Amino acid sequence: MRYAFETMGTVVSVDADARPPAVEAVFHDLDARFSLYRPDSELSAIADGRVRLLHASAELKGAYALAVDWRERTAGAFTPHRPDGVLDLSGVVKALAIESAGGVLDAHGGAWTLGCGGDVLTRRPTTTTVGIAHPDARGRLLTALDVPPERRAIATSGSSERGEHIWRTGADDSLVQVTVLAGDIVTADVLATAIVAGGMRTCDLVTDAFDCDVLAIARDGTISATPGVRFAGHDRAARAAA
Amino acid sequence: MSVRGTLGGVLAAATVLIIGWQAGSAASTHASAAAGTTASGTTGTTGTAGAAGTAGATDATGTSTGYADGTYTGAAEQTRYGDMQVKVTISGGQITDVTALQVTDNDPRSQQISARAVPVLHDEVLAAQSANVSTVSGATYTSDGYLASLQSALDQA
Repeated sequence: MRYAFETMGTVVSVDADARPPAVEAVFHDLDARFSLYRPDSELSAIADGRVRLLHASAELKGAYALAVDWRERTAGAFTPHRPDGVLDLSGVVKALAIESAGGVLDAHGGAWTLGCGGDVLTRRPTTTTVGIAHPDARGRLLTALDVPPERRAIATSGSSERGEHIWRTGADDSLVQVTVLAGDIVTADVLATAIVAGGMRTCDLVTDAFDCDVLAIARDGTISATPGVRFAGHDRAARAAA
Repeated sequence: MSVRGTLGGVLAAATVLIIGWQAGSAASTHASAAAGTTASGTTGTTGTAGAAGTAGATDATGTSTGYADGTYTGAAEQTRYGDMQVKVTISGGQITDVTALQVTDNDPRSQQISARAVPVLHDEVLAAQSANVSTVSGATYTSDGYLASLQSALDQA
């Protein structure tokens, strides 16, 4: 069955055998704690000084530690610290929610695909054909990838997105959209964000250091891909048309 | 100089040639140090493939004074790129084949070069637009963006 629901200012899409209520609860609970658009969230209380980070919940501190760890691992290309000084954890919270909801679906068993705001996580025994949205044209695809089952997570980041967590380092803003395929969604999401922020040099550092595949679209139209990226075969479309 | 000693030099030289070919311009100084007098000073140390081939032929000519035809396997050489071991085939007194038995795999640089993102042809990228997709990944979109996306159409199918 397929179903969708609004959360975190975007939409979650699920393709699974069941609809456990805990899936939606995961997203709503994390949004309630971490949304900077909710004045009553814990993170908003941190942002305006009502609560000190030192006294925050274990869950918030855990998300903060995760974000800082990724800041180190991406040499600062990914960071939860906004230029205005506000701690913005939206860069990891969406992925943490997807990961947690995936755990709920795993507990129910069966194959599933979950998408949230453009990130995708799968639990499937076979290849998934994933469309990659066109950076310039809403509703259109740039391309489609045949993604092997071990690359469970597909995350796309772009300059056209509502990216409060994308602080361009200023060194290289030549990439307009980046898709990362990885084994888990936090890794894919953070690295996609980091590469958009840091440009091709960051892309090279990432592909050197992490087990992932990358599709990068540059402002000048150049499309770059790691060797593991497989573009969906048009023979597949021909079979479908026949 | 014993035949065994000379052959050891040839095998070590072959190791250098293969490392040079694999690692490009940065041949292993460790391997060349281990190569002994036969290989020292050969162009194998520069690591360029063409020169390495020439050096091999020179070695073969220099050692045509009596190797029995056959296949010889050298001891594994430790190099900074990993362990290297080569098998050399001698026929008619000449080296006719050199095979790497262990391939260096722990040079992060050689791994990283193969993993990098490189430009791809647009034809293949764009041809895939017509594939049947089961889901869509895009830059984070809002609820409004979702409504305009292909994902929403898929969800209603």
